[in-house]
This record gives sequence, structure tokens and C-alpha cells, in this order.
Amino acid sequence: MSRVNGSNGKVPARTPPARLEAGNLVVVGVGGQGVILASNLVSQVLLDAGYDVKKSEVHGMSQRGGTVVSHVRFGPEVHSVMVEPGSADWIVAFEWEEGLRSLSYLKPNGVALVSTERRIPPAAMLDHRDQSLKYPALGEVPFGVLALDTFAVAGDAAAAVPAVAQTVLLGALSVLLPFPVEAWQASINAWVPRKALTGNLRAFERGRALAPEVRAAEVAARTAARTVESGPEVVPSASASPVAHNGAKRSRDGVAEHLLPVVRIERSWCKGCDICVAMCPEKCLVLDELDVAVFARPERCTGCQLCALLCPDLAMDVLWVPAGDLTGWLFANEEDRVRAAADPR
Amino acid sequence: MGLDVVSRTPADVSQDGAVALEARADHAPARARGGAWEGASAEKHFLRYGMMPHMLCPGCGHGIVLDSMLRALARSYETLDDVAFVAGIGCSSRVVGYVDACTLHTTHGRPLTFATGLKLARPDLEVVVVTGDGDGLSIGGNHLIHAARRNIDLTCVLFNNEIYGMTGGQLAPTTIPGAYTSTSPMGNHERPFDAARLVEAAGGTFVARAQSFRTRDFEEIFLRALDHKGFSFVEVMTDCTEYFGRTNRLGNGADLLFSQARADVAIEADLAGRPTLQEVPARPVRPVMEMGVLHESRRQTLEEAMGLVEDGS
Ligand SMILES: Cc1ncc(C[n+]2csc(CCOP(=O)(O)OP(=O)(O)O)c2C)c(N)n1
Ligand code: SF4
Ligand code: SF4
Ligand code: SF4
Ligand SMILES: [Mg+2]
Repeated sequence: MSRVNGSNGKVPARTPPARLEAGNLVVVGVGGQGVILASNLVSQVLLDAGYDVKKSEVHGMSQRGGTVVSHVRFGPEVHSVMVEPGSADWIVAFEWEEGLRSLSYLKPNGVALVSTERRIPPAAMLDHRDQSLKYPALGEVPFGVLALDTFAVAGDAAAAVPAVAQTVLLGALSVLLPFPVEAWQASINAWVPRKALTGNLRAFERGRALAPEVRAAEVAARTAARTVESGPEVVPSASASPVAHNGAKRSRDGVAEHLLPVVRIERSWCKGCDICVAMCPEKCLVLDELDVAVFARPERCTGCQLCALLCPDLAMDVLWVPAGDLTGWLFANEEDRVRAAADPR
Repeated sequence: MGLDVVSRTPADVSQDGAVALEARADHAPARARGGAWEGASAEKHFLRYGMMPHMLCPGCGHGIVLDSMLRALARSYETLDDVAFVAGIGCSSRVVGYVDACTLHTTHGRPLTFATGLKLARPDLEVVVVTGDGDGLSIGGNHLIHAARRNIDLTCVLFNNEIYGMTGGQLAPTTIPGAYTSTSPMGNHERPFDAARLVEAAGGTFVARAQSFRTRDFEEIFLRALDHKGFSFVEVMTDCTEYFGRTNRLGNGADLLFSQARADVAIEADLAGRPTLQEVPARPVRPVMEMGVLHESRRQTLEEAMGLVEDGS
């Protein structure tokens, strides 16, 4: 992202408009929705307006329809690339659940523009230990959240390329930022490939036409009957996940025990289809020279179960074992594992 | 009220699903039984161990659906003694042979007729019919619409891999336009059936569509279909790697799973300009299909009309 990333530390050539000193934007969605492109596009507008801009993104599981998060921070000079929880002025969410999950980033008076498009990843971990996802009901969603049916708003603009619908959100965001429409159009021109250009420009326009609704959400956020100190309503954020550090706590007779995920593979059932190898977000699995899957990098496994859920041969199980027993659980044939890890196919 | 929805509220399937799941978490977990290895997940206890590994090709999506069905069952059943699986002929129909329940492997296209007899004789059984797109929509198409019309209390899961897998990859009534099969070497010119809407029109009272890729969604939908009183139909999109995948140069099992999230692939291709499957010339494009529960209603079932069970309609 050489075009927008990083700062040279110099004082920007043009002074940013006084009305907007600095700001934090969080863009979220799932893989393939164009989150990164959208944040590039916004960053370009900010750069052109003379701000120092830093952008940072997480898209580890994006190919698998997993979460994509992009943080954009701007001001006269920006040092840290990350938006702190509770400090985003705006959230733009391309996906409903991802949007709700990211609300903990929002400032008390911030505005979240959330698409109602719903794309649940294949293994949404509904019963994943105590990590079960909980979302606020519609009525509990905090003030300042504007839910947009981007497909309905985009209408025929997204007929050819459905992804274009999300550009509606950028149009809506543009209402909240003090830049002329030409600046946005120029950035869209610079970043969007030719064939999707007209659709994107039209979707942007339609989003921008939602100014009354967007402004109303902004006003609601500012005047909401909640104290600034109490912060936005907290929904579990990804970082609150109990297995974020590869382990889960289980209590046995009141004594907390550290559990680690282990993938058990029934070698005689595996047909080497490569699905688990391709799907594992952490690249824990490889095929050995017999085309049988091997759990080669246990230390990376998060226990997400994607491999076991998608194995067509029912050959896998994700077990959680006490850290102390780990070596016993790892493979009877330790040699296989070491060899496969050294020479993945 | 803290929310304005512009144009339309989001699909509420996930929220319903979460609620349904919480309620189910209270159910007794499946009892561990012999056969499976130590620590095996609950659904493995519903497998016929002696029959494994199964006969499906590497990467075949039918196996993923089988696993999801067992996982769903393991969430609400301790044993499968009162569950009967009835299947026709085809790779899809073959999967019932691996389920440790009462199973009937019947004749091509006729699982619903056998199941109708079984259900009327034993209304106390939970009867699940597993069929394929060839089995259930070509040779068995008539039986399908009449089972729906009668609203007999069965759950029918149709594995739609858009081809006849078992017999060598012939054109099916679900094959998408443009797709190559062994009997459409110039690409398919026929319009495919929308199986779910067909069953709805014929009178089915629970109609849903799912994907093998979205395993958790399928689980939820399958459980709801089992709970439904009346004819429940779940069409699940799966992948035939060996014929559909190879003939159409769609890549391996993982690529096919990705292509189920078709829209994602299209976006990548259009916006990032990266080489993707989309750029394979003349590749048939999977149409966007509605997923989820498409229709749900309550109407007197055949058993209720015949006085075999108490009429709760
Ligand atoms: C009466 C009769 N006609 C034809 C066949 C041959 N036959 C076996 S399976 C099959 C098609 C199965 O297709 P589908 O139901 O889609 O199953 P898949 O293998 O694709 O899962 C056919 C035509 C048969 N076994 N019996
Ligand atoms: S459970 Fe572990 S090995 Fe399996 S997909 Fe997740 S991270 Fe990879
Ligand atoms: S998904 Fe299953 S069958 Fe395929 S390679 Fe992995 S373990 Fe083997
Ligand atoms: S022929 Fe196709 S449907 Fe049949 S087992 Fe092989 S991949 Fe699956
Ligand atoms: Mg078929």
C-alpha cells in the first residue's frame, strides 16, 4: 500500500480545514467485500486534503470470508496506526455482524454506518465453548448507528457487480467529512478499475443522497441520553475472545486449567483432498508424501474448527487438551509430523 | 429506539439461529458410545464405523453435508434409534449407509415413496429422506411434488451438486446454464429447476436452501426442518469435485467451496484485477441464489388428516 501508507514525518503542505483537526475511522467487513479498497480510497481523499494519514489492516482470514478490519487515522501528524477502542469517530461496516462486533471502537458520539448485508463465515463458531457470539438485538443497538440496506439503496448501480453496493457507505460517510464531492470522485477514479467505475460513482452518489438520514444519526449520537463517560454499549469484541492466545481456561473442581487445541486426524480416512490445508487460516496443516493431512504446526492452531467442519471425510476432530498432556496427544508418529513440517508440499 | 434502518431490516436468520441454539444448549449432550476414538466429537458416535472410510471421492461436498447432519442430530438426539434415514440411488443417497440409524437404501428416485409408507406405518419415527438432484428431481420428480402436496411429515434433504455424480457426470435438471457435463459437451442450454421454489409451489410447508460451505447455517436449518410438522424440504448446494469440478475446470474441493461464496470471487476479480477462477474462459458462473428458510407455514399433515396422529393444525 505504498500509495497511502506511512508518513514521512514532514509537516503537510496544505493545512487541513480547521473544522476537522484529526479523526479516526474504522472500516470493517469480510473478505472479498472491498474493505481494503474502500479504506485506500478514503485515505487518498485525506492525503489529497493534506493530512498525514496512517492506515493499518488485518485481513488474515479474508480469503475464507473472514474478518477484514482497516484502521485509518489522520491529522496534522499521526504516530500510532491503531485506533483505540472507544475512539473511532466513524465506523463503516460492510457487513452487519462485523459492524456490530466493531462497535466497541466507536466514540460515545461517533457514527457507525452499517450495511445490513449479512455474510456469516462458514464456521461462525456458534457453539465454540464460551466464545459464543452475542449480538445486541435491533432495539439495543446504540445511538449513532445507521443501518443501511446498501443493495436497496444502490439499486441498479450494483446490478452488474454486487460488491459495488457497498460504495453507498462511502457516499454516506462523505456527508460527515468536510471534503468536496470532487475529491471523492477523483479518488474513486484513481482506485477503482475501469469496468466497475460507473457503478461505483453512481452508488457513491446514492449514498451521499442519504444526507438527511446520516445527519440525523449524527445528531442522535451527539444528543443521546447516555453519558460520555459510560462509553458506547459494549459488545464483545474480537479481542475479548477467550482463545485469542491459543488457549482456553477450563475449570476442573474449581482449579483453572489451561487447555490447548489439538487436531486429531484419522489417517486411514483422509483422502488428501487438500480442503483442510487450504482452509486453515493459520496454515497448521500440510499433506505428507502419502497425501495424508498432518497437523504440522500445532503451536499456531487457534482451535477454530474450520478444518474439522469442512473435512468431507469426517477425518478430523479438534480436541482441547490440558497443556501438560499435549505431547501425549500429538501424534503417535512424531517422525511424520516433523518430516512433513520440514517439507510441506 | 437506537436504530434507523434505511430501506430494509437485515435478515434475521442469524439472530433466530442464536436464540434457537441457546435453547438447545440445554438439551442433554449426545451420549458417548463405543466405536469412536477418544475425544471424538459427538457426531462421530452416530457413524457406522465398520463402513468408514466412505466411498465418496476426495473433496466431495456430500461428506461435508453428512458431517453437518450428524452434528445437528448430535445436538438434539441421544440415540438415533427412533430416526429413520431413507435414500434413493446416487452418491448423495449413498451417505445414509454411514449413519448409525434405521436406514433404507431404496430404488432410484423412490425414497419418498418408501418413506411415505414407512411414516404412515410408524408415525412415531422421525423420517429423514436423503436424495440427490438427479434422484429427487428427474426420475423422482413426481414423487417429490406429490409428497409436498400431501404434506406428509417428512424431512427431505436434497443434495444438489448440479450433476449426476454416480453415473459419470451427466446433465441434471439442476445443471447451471453453460456448464459442461458428459452429456452437454457444448455447454448446457437448458434452464435449471429451482428445486426449493418448486416444492413450495407444490405445497411443501417448510422450504429452505443451504450450502455445504456454510456448515453452521445448514445445521440450524436442518434442525428447524426436523422440528417442523409437515413436509420439510432442504436443498443443500454441494460440490461434485470429480465430475462437475473437473469437467468445468473449477479446481479442487477447496476451490469449489470458495466458488460457493461466488460473489466474493466476482468482487476479487472485478476490483482487484487479480487472476481468479473467474478468468477461466467460458467458466459457468454460479447464479446468486436465495439461501435460508424460504417458506414456512402450517397446514394439516397427511397423518393428521388420516387420524394417525392427533390433529394439531
Ligand atoms: C431406474 C434407474 N435408472 C438409472 C439409474 C442410474 N443412476 C444411478 S445414480 C443416477 C443419478 C444420480 O444422480 P444424483 O441423484 O444427482 O446423485 P449424485 O450422484 O449426483 O449425488 C442414475 C441415473 C439407476 N440406478 N436406476
Ligand atoms: S482448528 Fe487449528 S488446524 Fe484447524 S483450521 Fe483452525 S487453526 Fe487450523
Ligand atoms: S479435509 Fe479431510 S480428507 Fe481432506 S485432506 Fe484434510 S483431513 Fe484429509
Ligand atoms: S462422483 Fe461426484 S458426487 Fe459422486 S462421490 Fe465423486 S465427487 Fe461426489
Ligand atoms: Mg447430483
